Amino acid sequence: MTGLLDQVWALLNRTLEVYRDNPRATGWLRWQADRLGGPLRIAVAGQPKAGKSMLVNALVGEEVAPLPLGDDALTTVWYLAGATPRATVYPPDGPPAEVPADRSGGRLRVDLGEWRGRRLDRVVVDWPARTLRGTALIDTPGAEPSTMERVATEADAVLYLTQHLHATDLGLLQALHEHPLAMAYPVGTLVVLSRADEMGGGRIDALFAAKQLARQHRRDARTRALCQDVIAVTGLLGYAGRALRPPEFDALATLAHAPRSEMDGYLLSADRFAGADFPVPVDAELRRALLDRLGLFGLRLATALIRQGFDTHGTLSAELVQRSGLTEVREAVARYFTDRAPVLKARSALLALEVVLRREPRPPAAALVAELERILAGAHEFRELRLLAALSVGQLVLPAELDAEARQLIGGSGSGLPVRLGLAEEPTATGLRHAIIAALRRWRDHAENPVLDEAARTAAATVVRTCEGMLASVAP
Amino acid sequence: MGGHGTLFRVTSQPWLDVLDATIGACSDHQRPDLANRLRQKRAHLLEPTLRVPVVGEPNQGKSQLVNALINAPVCAVGDNVTTPAPIVIGHAQSPVAALVKEPADTPEPRREPIPVEEIAIRAAALPAGRGELLHTEVGIPRPLLANGLVLVDTPAVDDLDTVSFRGSHALFNVVAEADAVLVVSAATRELATTELALIEAVARLCPTVVVVLTKIDIAPRWRRVAERNRARLAGAGIQATVIPVSAMLRLAAAKSGDEALNAESGFAELVTHLQREVLGQPDVLARRSVAVLAGMAVQQLLAPLHQTVAGTPAGGPSEAITKWQTAQRQIDQLRKDAAAWQTALADDMADLVSDLEFDLRDRTRRILREMDKFFDEADPAVDWDSFGSWLDESLAEAADTNFAWLVERFDWITHRINRDLHAYRDDVLPRSLLEIDDGLLADPRELEEPRVERFSVGQKVFVGLRGSYGGVLMFGLATSLAGWPLINAVSLGAGILFAAKTIYDEAGARLKRRQAIAKAAGQRHVDDFFLAFSKDTKDILRQLQRRLRDHLAATAEELRTEIVQTAQSAKREADLDAAEQQRRAGEARTALQGLTTLHGRITALVPGGISLPRPRRSLTG
Repeated sequence: MTGLLDQVWALLNRTLEVYRDNPRATGWLRWQADRLGGPLRIAVAGQPKAGKSMLVNALVGEEVAPLPLGDDALTTVWYLAGATPRATVYPPDGPPAEVPADRSGGRLRVDLGEWRGRRLDRVVVDWPARTLRGTALIDTPGAEPSTMERVATEADAVLYLTQHLHATDLGLLQALHEHPLAMAYPVGTLVVLSRADEMGGGRIDALFAAKQLARQHRRDARTRALCQDVIAVTGLLGYAGRALRPPEFDALATLAHAPRSEMDGYLLSADRFAGADFPVPVDAELRRALLDRLGLFGLRLATALIRQGFDTHGTLSAELVQRSGLTEVREAVARYFTDRAPVLKARSALLALEVVLRREPRPPAAALVAELERILAGAHEFRELRLLAALSVGQLVLPAELDAEARQLIGGSGSGLPVRLGLAEEPTATGLRHAIIAALRRWRDHAENPVLDEAARTAAATVVRTCEGMLASVAP
Repeated sequence: MGGHGTLFRVTSQPWLDVLDATIGACSDHQRPDLANRLRQKRAHLLEPTLRVPVVGEPNQGKSQLVNALINAPVCAVGDNVTTPAPIVIGHAQSPVAALVKEPADTPEPRREPIPVEEIAIRAAALPAGRGELLHTEVGIPRPLLANGLVLVDTPAVDDLDTVSFRGSHALFNVVAEADAVLVVSAATRELATTELALIEAVARLCPTVVVVLTKIDIAPRWRRVAERNRARLAGAGIQATVIPVSAMLRLAAAKSGDEALNAESGFAELVTHLQREVLGQPDVLARRSVAVLAGMAVQQLLAPLHQTVAGTPAGGPSEAITKWQTAQRQIDQLRKDAAAWQTALADDMADLVSDLEFDLRDRTRRILREMDKFFDEADPAVDWDSFGSWLDESLAEAADTNFAWLVERFDWITHRINRDLHAYRDDVLPRSLLEIDDGLLADPRELEEPRVERFSVGQKVFVGLRGSYGGVLMFGLATSLAGWPLINAVSLGAGILFAAKTIYDEAGARLKRRQAIAKAAGQRHVDDFFLAFSKDTKDILRQLQRRLRDHLAATAEELRTEIVQTAQSAKREADLDAAEQQRRAGEARTALQGLTTLHGRITALVPGGISLPRPRRSLTG
């Protein structure tokens, strides 16, 4: 992996040298260099009210989104790791300016002052959070094909949020890949079915139904060509689980221990729950806060969970986070994005370099173009991605029993070694080695199997190369 | 609500008259498409039933709403279940159901009865290979439906822009047949831009729109959402009632028989609204529908009429007028061009004459210089013949080159003229114009041989004797002093020497004289040649110029005549057009008056006036 990044760095520096006299190209290249050296950029995109800000909050663990920018502001908000809360606005014409920001009660407060309602390119928020280390989150404004293009340019990976995958969403995802900077394979895209708690009118099995729906989409060839995975999540519950305060938990416990026959009627609707006559001694203010925090579905789930034995603050919080699907999202982000960060960043940088080399051709750049082509065609990481793409869209068909294993080995389910080998959580060093050697042997056979056709044997050879790489990385 | 069981509309209603008048107007104005649409609407309005389709984006709870309204699980509901074809629910004494399909082989739809319990399953799962499902018909005994209300559950509208033609077509057919439309949107979020676009599109076809806000049980802030939605609808200029409901609460209430819960579900309000505003006022609904649809039709008819009256028919000024204007411009242009042609021709010719003369002068001078050099050495008496042929050759060559140059330059001039003329017509200059009259080039005059005096032997003897006489005498006298006779060997020798010297001198002087004469003769000849030749070329050029000038003038005149004729015919056409337009404008004015009166009647159907959704720029805008 480091080999690839080194090559990209070298190419970037040489390009900078060639375009020294061109301020525009230099600016763009320096920006790319910053990006290559900086954290992985993950954009949270989707149509308005898809739950983008809620997911950002759930991922960060504190209420940092949305900023008071106004309803139809086309401003992206970047969340970066920082020592203290800070916010900087970037107007389209003029130097960036810092605005007052602070943290109170686990919430970000930003005073935009005179910038409120003005057109801003982006706002960058520095926030002290562990989850932001190594990854930057970008909260994007409501999706339109134009904003999707911007997302494709600015971000290395995209979490696309939607409540249901409609034709509009598929169109927008398509727009994400049609951008000249994108590649044919959606290596940096995950679809998140958000607001899962509203499924089926908030029935108690809503989350289960949402997960089933996600599975259905995952199997759909149309979706598979547009994203790597589909995950159901409820940002509301995930954030609630992480930010549940003791008084709120106490109130929930009180509610859970009230007789069910009495409570069920009041959990029928939000109005009833927040209404004036309430049989349990929890005051109206707190009830309304609980409703905001958890939603009606969350209240039903939380009280049921407490009755089932998750009756301490800690266990309830953990269970809520677990059930919300947030864990799956974080795992998927780690598996598909963070583990593969060097490849994703190298890809973004190479595509950006290609833009410069194509738009401003000059004789000394010819060698650079050749080098770029060489890296794109030669780097094994990209070869893996191309094979993955060919397998996913059915351009290349392997026998069923080989298909799944090949995909897993070349990183289709994530690029960590145990994931690739399909091993349990923490394999021992020798276990790992044995597994790799076994896979290597099998695939060497496949690569020379005369029953398979030429394309399949080439694919198998790529897998063999992957196995060799893995073996080299665990060499004693 | 009246006590009558079924709904009959009295056939002589003001709206019906207005509708018929509008249909007539559409037919009169050659708009059968509009007339057909209105005729269909008329048929639907005259039916005793009131159709109320339920439309909306996917997973907003359309089917659940229908189920809750009729309190029966007729429509399939589920997390990823969509309704594939409309389900039409009307009144029946006992529950019945049928699938209406369009078999591939016959155009006639086929009804296929099915058990009522299976509707939800059968309607959702399309049986393959047995024709396309058009819609499902369901009849159940419900007091709500007994008054003629027909509810239609429709397939979801996913994306108005990208939806398949058939899908949107089917939806708009359903809406066009409707008396009122329920648009469903979940209360968990505000109306999306796409939903607003859908409501606008629906309101154009059926003006009675109720926006039903579903799922208020799980939306703590539904009151604020409802308020914002009302504001957005008002902002878009759509008259629509917003009613928040919860199908969940309604079904729970029906199960438990809890009246309070039923009241909270909001369905009481929805049903009341349906009964009061839809069922109770079929006349008002009809008036409103007619007002909107007929109003839009009349406006479509009015637009071209207004244009005709204003005098600018669609497509800008008429062809004839354009032609006439073009011809006018062409005449002006031609006048300018013709003057320019003549000036250019005169200039070119003057240039050519002076250039040719200079060239010829230059060449003859060179010949003269060469001749001078030649006769500095040669003796004309000896070399005159060879000189004569050389001079003739040189002059002929000079004449040829000069003339070739003339032809070349002249070619260029004709080429340029041809190019200028090309802007008007395609023919080239006739070749006959450019033929050079051979008679004009006179043959060069013969070179006259100058009279050259030769040094004959007698002259030589005489000159020698004259010279020797002095020598003999001079030396004879000198030697006589020495006693020698006057004629002696020395004096004779000197005499011979003197004679030779004198002959030699005389010969040199004569040569010089002959050379001078020859030079003069040559010069005269060259001058004569120059004079004659340049006169000839000038004559030729003048002749050519005259011919070209006349030709150009004639061409210009021809062109002018042609264009003027075109202009005149165009003018006549334009005059006819104007008269025709005048007539049409008159007719249009009459028609306009009729339509305006009709429009007034249409507007009068609805006391408060009708409001149409503002035209929108795009679905997403």
